[in-house]
Amino acid sequence: MPYVVDIKDAQQMFQDYTFVRALTPSEQKAAFHVKDKAGNAFCLKLIAPNYERDRIDREIQALQTINHPNVVRLIEYTFSSKPGQQRHYIVEEFIEGQDLQDTLTPGKPWPIKAVAQFFSALCDGLFAMKEKEIVHRDIKPANIRVRPDRSPVIIDFGLARHLNLPDLTQTIDGAAIGTPRYFAPEQFDGTKHDIDHRTDLFALGILLYEALTGESPFYNPKMTTRCQIRQAVCESTVHLTKLSFQALDPKWKILLARLLEKERAKRPSDARQVGAMLKKLGGL
Amino acid sequence: MRRGAWHQCGDRSQKLVEEQLQQGAGVGVIISPRDLSRKNAITYAERYRALGAELLLDHQYYVPEFTNERFDSYPISRFRKGVSSLNKISDQDLTNFRNELRVDHEELKADAVIAPAVVYQAGRADILQLNARLFAASKRVADDLKIPIYATVVLGRSVTASDRTLQTALSQATALSCDGWYFAFEFEDERLPSVRETVRRSCIAGLILACTGKPVLHAYAGPLGLLSFGFGATGVAIGHSQNLWKFTRDRWMPAASQGGGGDAPARFFSNALWGTIIYPDETSQLPAAIRNQVLTPSPFSGPVASNLPWSRWDSGKHLVYVLAQQFSTMAAETDPRKNARAAIALLDKALSLHATIQQSNVFLGDNTNAYQANWKAALEDLLRDNQGDFDFFDLLN
Repeated sequence: MPYVVDIKDAQQMFQDYTFVRALTPSEQKAAFHVKDKAGNAFCLKLIAPNYERDRIDREIQALQTINHPNVVRLIEYTFSSKPGQQRHYIVEEFIEGQDLQDTLTPGKPWPIKAVAQFFSALCDGLFAMKEKEIVHRDIKPANIRVRPDRSPVIIDFGLARHLNLPDLTQTIDGAAIGTPRYFAPEQFDGTKHDIDHRTDLFALGILLYEALTGESPFYNPKMTTRCQIRQAVCESTVHLTKLSFQALDPKWKILLARLLEKERAKRPSDARQVGAMLKKLGGL
Repeated sequence: MRRGAWHQCGDRSQKLVEEQLQQGAGVGVIISPRDLSRKNAITYAERYRALGAELLLDHQYYVPEFTNERFDSYPISRFRKGVSSLNKISDQDLTNFRNELRVDHEELKADAVIAPAVVYQAGRADILQLNARLFAASKRVADDLKIPIYATVVLGRSVTASDRTLQTALSQATALSCDGWYFAFEFEDERLPSVRETVRRSCIAGLILACTGKPVLHAYAGPLGLLSFGFGATGVAIGHSQNLWKFTRDRWMPAASQGGGGDAPARFFSNALWGTIIYPDETSQLPAAIRNQVLTPSPFSGPVASNLPWSRWDSGKHLVYVLAQQFSTMAAETDPRKNARAAIALLDKALSLHATIQQSNVFLGDNTNAYQANWKAALEDLLRDNQGDFDFFDLLN
């Protein structure tokens, strides 16, 4: 259930900003496109009262440590509590453009050069996270903004995990949070110790597959249960036999197959390596 | 990491290694604290470096509770404890461990840090965590000294027992952000590994590591190193003693006797047989034409050509030299598939030669023809079943 706040109520609470429009809310945050008095655009996110403080602290910590053009920039984080009044919000840079999900159209693959440009820049952002030992765990089209110049920005670090810090989930499980359609096998079947940078690379592989072929490697609309998606992601190799995949240049097929390996050991070791290959394959 | 043969130091290796480097055999040296005191290690490190070798120090935490007098000459040895004790190591002790590791690497002027690590075992999450902590400490040393960090991946028998356990262990081990891999594979206890399935699995493990795009140094390879450039290794570690021909934890257990082979006759390592033949007991039985094919010469095998007495010590030098030359040739070729095919061709010829020897009613000892066919088959399996890995390796390079 998304956390929804009426834009008029939000405007009332934050009179320093002009509220332009409501953005798609998540379960934990109501989001708005706002402008300050100087006319600068931001994304203001109001945090749901029941949201775990520890988790938001992690998100803030993650965002504070990364400074990269392909990762959303944190401007302000405030938590204040007075009797009868609590203000808990994040201000991030506002990314003009659209979500990646609006540009991935079934049956319409992207031109190769556009794929190489977009995804190599996305790899730059992912590698910046890797250098800070942060795993996003929820890389999906809705969490990637596309600027008007077609460059990507990774947003929403609500499920991010810092590998050097203890996990917030208390059980040994705890890998299974995020969006199943973009899960890696270890997010279905593994423990939290199995989650690392290569978990994000698997999701990157799914996005890359969708951009190159115009279809999802594992998911189809007939799948109604998580169990069906799990089976496809963890056990199926149907993605290697689809006609749209078979039609790709052999080198692209090698890269895609590798990103979508079930075992992390067989995936590329990091996003920088993938980015370099994308540039080479795209002739950049 | 330089491409080619690396000298894996062992017991009484230091002068032999120096002599080999003088002959232009080998590109690097891995110092063994088990066999060389700290003071001697510093002295020899300088001499090896003067001969142009790259230098590494392997602190050998495989059986971390094992120590001896030479190990004890390194202050870091106070952290040689069992896994359960190491699991409880405090942050302060880890800082001390790091400081000792740093001092050793600084004084030896090592070219990279090999992160100490315990042998990986199936289902042992505690070992994963311990190795990750030791790696993090070692990486800080490497970062401070501005040299690369190599993660140690020594796969124990419980891991190497099946493809599934192998891949799981590799997924965990390869999570470490290193600049290269120091890799060894624990085989069953035999003179040279001969089981096709296990040898195939060792090649798969090496290929998976090579597909990370980082250099792989195949430690304790010995003659099996013939296969290593076929799975994408950058360096192959060789040594004169049979203890250095494969990885086994037994070597780090307290020994019942001093070992050394007693009065056993010299073994001649023949490139053409890719194996040893007992000199002169077996070589003298060979018909002249076969004998000429078998006795591939080296700067250390002079007396053999004239059938003169030849010491075991010189046979060790000859072995290391022949391996180094072969591996130097293979290292010049960067395509692992070509190297795998070259190794298959060499093993094929060796098998034919062994067959010819048997046809002349000479039956060689030491089980010296027990493994070539299976090594060849293992490489053929690798080329056939792991095309995707080779394709990805090509794409990376």
